[in-house]
Amino acid sequence: QTKWDLPAAYPATNFHSVNLEQFAKDVDKATGGKLKITVHANASLYKAPEIKRAVQQGQAQIGEILLVNFQNEWQIFGADGLPFLADSYDESMRLYKAQKPFLEKKLGEQGMMLLYAVAWPPQGIYTKRTLNSAADMKGLKWRAYSPATARIAELVGAQPVTVQAAELSQAMATGVVDSYMSSGSTGYDSKTYEHIKNWYDTQAWLPKNAVIVNKAAFNALDKGTQDALLKAGAEAEARGWEASKAENTRTQNLLKQNGMNIITPPAQLKADMKKVGDTMLKEWLDKAGPEGKALVDAYRK
Amino acid sequence: MSDVAITTLLMFALFALLGSGVWIGLTLAGVAWIGMQLFSSRPAGDAMAITVWGSASSWTLTALPLFIWMGEILFRTKLSESMFRGLAPWVSRLPGRLLHTNVIGCTIFAAVSGSSAATCATIGKMTLPELGKRGYPDDITIGSLAGAGTLGLLIPPSIIMIVYGVSADVSIARLFVAGIIPGVVLAGLFSGYLMIWTALNRDRVPPPDRHMSFGEKVYESRHLIPVVVLIAAVLGSIYAGVATATEAAAVGVVGSLLLSAVQRSLTWQTFRDSLMGATRLYCMIALILSGAAFLTLSMGYIGLPRHLAEFVTSLGLSPFLLIVALAVFYVILGCFLDGISMVVLTMGVILPTVTAAKLDLIWFGIFIVIVVEMAQITPPVGFNLFVLQGMTGKEITWIGKVTFPFFLLMCLMVLLLWWFPQLATWLPSKM
Amino acid sequence: MRRILDWLYDAAAWLAALAMIGVLLMVLLSIVSRQLGFNVPGTDAYAGYSMAAAGFLALAHTLKKNEHIRVTLLLGRLRGRGLRVLQMWALSAAVLLAALFAFYSVRLAWQSYALNDISTGNDATPLWIPQITMALGTVVLLIAFVDEWLLHLRARQPRTVPGEALHNE
Ligand code: NA
Ligand code: NA
Repeated sequence: QTKWDLPAAYPATNFHSVNLEQFAKDVDKATGGKLKITVHANASLYKAPEIKRAVQQGQAQIGEILLVNFQNEWQIFGADGLPFLADSYDESMRLYKAQKPFLEKKLGEQGMMLLYAVAWPPQGIYTKRTLNSAADMKGLKWRAYSPATARIAELVGAQPVTVQAAELSQAMATGVVDSYMSSGSTGYDSKTYEHIKNWYDTQAWLPKNAVIVNKAAFNALDKGTQDALLKAGAEAEARGWEASKAENTRTQNLLKQNGMNIITPPAQLKADMKKVGDTMLKEWLDKAGPEGKALVDAYRK
Repeated sequence: MSDVAITTLLMFALFALLGSGVWIGLTLAGVAWIGMQLFSSRPAGDAMAITVWGSASSWTLTALPLFIWMGEILFRTKLSESMFRGLAPWVSRLPGRLLHTNVIGCTIFAAVSGSSAATCATIGKMTLPELGKRGYPDDITIGSLAGAGTLGLLIPPSIIMIVYGVSADVSIARLFVAGIIPGVVLAGLFSGYLMIWTALNRDRVPPPDRHMSFGEKVYESRHLIPVVVLIAAVLGSIYAGVATATEAAAVGVVGSLLLSAVQRSLTWQTFRDSLMGATRLYCMIALILSGAAFLTLSMGYIGLPRHLAEFVTSLGLSPFLLIVALAVFYVILGCFLDGISMVVLTMGVILPTVTAAKLDLIWFGIFIVIVVEMAQITPPVGFNLFVLQGMTGKEITWIGKVTFPFFLLMCLMVLLLWWFPQLATWLPSKM
Repeated sequence: MRRILDWLYDAAAWLAALAMIGVLLMVLLSIVSRQLGFNVPGTDAYAGYSMAAAGFLALAHTLKKNEHIRVTLLLGRLRGRGLRVLQMWALSAAVLLAALFAFYSVRLAWQSYALNDISTGNDATPLWIPQITMALGTVVLLIAFVDEWLLHLRARQPRTVPGEALHNE
């Protein structure tokens, strides 16, 4: 019997974590108990930024990471964080398919393999203001939690503010932050509706969580177990994307019930944000080089 | 190997290393190392380094060294002396008199700081020397400080509430509000105990100063102005949206330096001493935190807390017995792990049971905070005890002993919370 | 030799104190930048790195000042040979653990460099740079423990560290 540890950063109730638990059960069943995977949700084993390295070095045989987190290391990891490049589940899936060979190659070089990836619900803008165009965003105190969200703030003239997730709730209550970009699901989980009443459903991007496996640990499994793992992974991927869509609908309804105005972005705002997206794509292509170009070409084909 | 055997072996290693005088932070790392090498499939070394680095450089902790520094600066000003002069006339009729300064000080400072170690260190730096100078006995002053320091967790802001709120998916704002009444009640229990203790130990409390008229008392209160201004500045920076709760510690350091300058106690010498003193005290805590982070990781791999939690939830208890069992479970766990680790390691298993028992999750959050508070003062691994050992040089077993009555008061608080759940749920329901 | 060692502990401690000031400055910078409307990316990360540096670089100095805590209940009751044996045992265990700590801390920084591990935050710092403080601090701690171990071994009488006897009640 082989035992694997699977560190994950999100709470046990999050739909990604629930999916992981199901995946672990499926593997257990399919291998007749030969491979037992323990899911350590809620960053109880490693914190989000440490998980990739833990898998790479074999401290954990398998783990779940947020791909865009690793954009600083390699630009392609951040492709699903580019605003308005892929702005629906269908396009996100197409982007994933285009991104996949690149991810597999890079992770392969690092001694890992990609088992599956699932998108988060699409990102919108939480703000205390009414927005008709990007000009209305000038001076917003905008939580910048990643290089991309910081750049958006700069481009629309908002003030990027550094606030940790743990302090977001209090920061919104006291006015340290009055806007940020996130999904309906994260906004609901973090109770944003207690402080902010508008969510502009811009569907800016759908970041993905990826489940990665240490190659040496995988190779140490017998053929039957490997196949069972890959099959359970493929099933988890299909299940996860559906769960993400369901979560999107569910949390948007819950947001509405809790007094959040879910607003389709006005035409001008949409056009302005599209421009922001174009600028950022151009900047990204400069940094990502030929690989980046090949990825975007493959996606747009 | 069975869980019981693993636990026995690790406990033996822990007590053997601690008892033979190996430094506490290294002991924790050593036990973690043994556990991970023997009972998990992963090698310990690299995992230790990643985890220790992650916890030592974690931004959420930055308030701790800053508040410790603030305490070291204030200790070298006349602030504590003037605070005592201002408070003395008001508590002179209260049995126990100035003994209450620990409780009052911690309660107020708890509204500024989110951590119990920082509360304990900052207030202790000011009160312990002053109380000692005035002839109050060590055992009750140190015990009450260790106990009252834990209020840093219950009175908002609070790091542990944020961790619980994220794990349990409940509103952190509501949790913060829910902690206020239990925090004040617990402070009241501490003060009540101090009065009873004084009644039983009249000869051990120094005699009161001369009697003052009301006018004189008010006039003496002018000495409180610096403290009030400082606390108002730190609290104000949070509630005015200038700083987050963590950043407020930096406001506290700057405020203390200014105060020190105004009182003309700021010299190169005092600045350097406060800086080096704070660096050493923080370093001492950081080594233990590093060991504790590694122990948490090792426990996560071995799965002991998880198995224990699974065992408790498998018992199928009534809500009351479930709470009793969980209290016992967390007190035992709290002897060896720090509070945040306990919550992170067990919530995934415990929460479904708690939800199934139809317990209110806000109420349960306050319950968790109180049991985590208890963990801060139970030996062998109790952070308030470590902070106080570092500050006073007293033996940790002795500190544990003088703190024990306050541990019992917290047990009483858990019972009160069970009998009167409104203590926790009433305020948030008004939001 | 003695002077070099003492200089080493003190130098590391002064760097730690500077890092402590660094924590303060980084947090202040994040408050002030928000008020004045400019943005310095990564102040939160830099505050964290400074805090780590403050903790690790002061390790040896804190040990030499006898401010790392331990349970001295048993040590305080023993005299003569028994005390000496127990002290040597505690120090030996500490040397071993400090050696593991130092070895893997150096390895951490080295592997961060080799794996090109970069901070995921807005600061995008190559992690081996701040991790050098951890490597350095733990190595100096190991030196300090070995130093203590040798001092105890060579001493004719069991060494009582000033103040330690007072810690027992
Ligand atoms: Na607090
Ligand atoms: Na404890």
